[in-house]
Amino acid sequence: MIERVHRIGQGMFLALQKPMSRAFESTANPLNHLGVLTIFFLWVVLISGIWLLIFFSTSVSGAFDSVEYLTNEQWYLGGVMRSLHRYASDAAIVTIFVHILREFMFNHYRRNRWFTWVSGVPLVWIIFPLGITGYWLVWDELAQYVAISSAELMDSIPIFTDSMAGNFLNDDLVSDRFFTLMAFFHLIGMPIFLVFGIWLHVFRLTSPRINPPRRMMAATLLCLLVLSAVYPAVSHEQADLAMTPMVLRLDWFYLHFYPLIQITSPGWVWLMLIATSGVIVIAPWAPREKAESPALVTLDYCNGCERCVDDCPFGAVEMVPRTDDTNYSHQAEVDPDLCTSCGICVGACPTATPFRSRGDLVPGIDLPDRSAATLRDEIVAADEQGATPRVLVFGCRDDRQLRDLQEAGARCIPVNCVGQLPPSYIDFALSRDHADGIMLLGCENGLCTYRFGANWTEQRLARQRDPMVRRRVDLSRVALGWQAPWSGCRNAVDKYKEFTASLAK
Amino acid sequence: MKWLTEITFYGLFAAFVGVFSAWPDYQLVAADRAIVSVVFSHAGQRVGDCRILTQDELNELPPNMRTMNDCPRERHPVRVLLRSDSETLYDATLQPSGIWADGKSNIYKRVEVQAGTHQLFVGVSDSGDDAGFDYEQSSVVDLVPGRNLIVQFDEQSQQIIIR
Ligand code: SF4
Repeated sequence: MIERVHRIGQGMFLALQKPMSRAFESTANPLNHLGVLTIFFLWVVLISGIWLLIFFSTSVSGAFDSVEYLTNEQWYLGGVMRSLHRYASDAAIVTIFVHILREFMFNHYRRNRWFTWVSGVPLVWIIFPLGITGYWLVWDELAQYVAISSAELMDSIPIFTDSMAGNFLNDDLVSDRFFTLMAFFHLIGMPIFLVFGIWLHVFRLTSPRINPPRRMMAATLLCLLVLSAVYPAVSHEQADLAMTPMVLRLDWFYLHFYPLIQITSPGWVWLMLIATSGVIVIAPWAPREKAESPALVTLDYCNGCERCVDDCPFGAVEMVPRTDDTNYSHQAEVDPDLCTSCGICVGACPTATPFRSRGDLVPGIDLPDRSAATLRDEIVAADEQGATPRVLVFGCRDDRQLRDLQEAGARCIPVNCVGQLPPSYIDFALSRDHADGIMLLGCENGLCTYRFGANWTEQRLARQRDPMVRRRVDLSRVALGWQAPWSGCRNAVDKYKEFTASLAK
Repeated sequence: MKWLTEITFYGLFAAFVGVFSAWPDYQLVAADRAIVSVVFSHAGQRVGDCRILTQDELNELPPNMRTMNDCPRERHPVRVLLRSDSETLYDATLQPSGIWADGKSNIYKRVEVQAGTHQLFVGVSDSGDDAGFDYEQSSVVDLVPGRNLIVQFDEQSQQIIIR
């Protein structure tokens, strides 16, 4: 059931990706940078917020006037900053939502990635109040609505003895102190939690990216600036507690659930919010994915080269002092709780070479459930099948195009991640005449289930990263089935046909 | 061409953000309606009378707990009725807060009414007696559209206030 949802969702994302790939290389595609784009938007929010703070008055009487001053008198800077502050916050909600959806659809939340997934939930619970308290500070009619509705929400929690909404009965009851408290939450309290939450969200990842590509930052900033100039953010009328605002221009990104407080009840809204968060939190275990054996180090073949440590996307391998009596000083050790069985470490291991003639093929690090020896056996066996030219496809098992290729008659060897394939296997298949061409199928950079599979493979083939493909390998006989700056691929099946035809010439 | 597609995507993104940042409008209250908010916290009377302890009973208590009166903690719920002309807008019995039911009853209710002149009646009962009200207030109010009329209970004067 859940796999079907994933498949449908992936289809939708890939359909969106297609027209986008006409405009962007995979490394510049915003869909592949949603998390870091959110962080970039938060930077814009922070910087524009600092400017607003300089002129903002944290008192009931002064707040509205100071924001009006910024918007109208100082429109060329303060007004633009205000609009940027708002639109960047809204844009962050869009990227967060799409980020969550995409990680879910591409199954990037189960197995050992549960922690990153679950730690995203508190971040959402921080970002919403952060944005909502921002609306409160303007002290216009929208702020009045937000303040009263938020107070109704708080009052429905049966721990407060006095009604918080009772503080908003008339203008005299709203004190400067209360206002300062809200400003404190918005300006200091919640941002501190947010920074800590972001750190927690990414701390289990190796080399987490913090910034999107420069061009993307420039383009998004420019489009928010243009939006701010064309359609500046403005206030409603000043808050007047003796009257009720009748028509509001709600910011639907942050306040979409507020009308539900009036339509249903605050209790229902809590229930809905808590239930949604609960479903997200338990999603990695509902249903639990079949456990796979973690990577296994065989000391007899581990020379302590550290490449597995460098390439593991989840920080699951570390070097520890040697426990046997060889001359090497260190050995690799896998933390089974962090290992996702992606096999990228096997792809990085220099001892995972199919050319080995003596003894069994046992590399220093290997996947017990999908071993390097099995892969070699499958290459040799594939030799027997099919028509010429013989194109052998090594395809990521998570890539939905693998099935399409199989249906198109390709000889496919599934791997856990395309990064699992050591470059020596390509050399082996071509030089030992087991294939006329090799096609690698993986998820494009940024979409990879294991983060760096496509990235490391591209670098290994471009001879920029160890282990590199040997110079004798004719790269014109190697094709990439994902979008990369040099692959020329938009669709794996088309690419396969095109590649096969080019080999036949 | 590539440039154009890129600009189109960023433009669409900005338009999406701009549009839903303030549209569509949300009609909180219809143009010809006003609001009556009943908002107060009031403690119901205690469910039983206090009893004066005998000297023997007092002697049995630890010295720091010797008070003459033994009063039950539990309080009666508070009933609130709001009527506009002859239409009942709100009639609820609110339980006291606290696990021992010894706290205040909290009332927070916003009711939409047709704008215009109304004869408003508010009754509050805190003695558990359903036959009548312990406090009553009625007044003729003129509600302009969008007006937020507040009904409160003033603990000092023990009176219902409509303003
Ligand atoms: S299998 Fe993947 S996650 Fe596990 S140690 Fe190797 S590279 Fe790291």
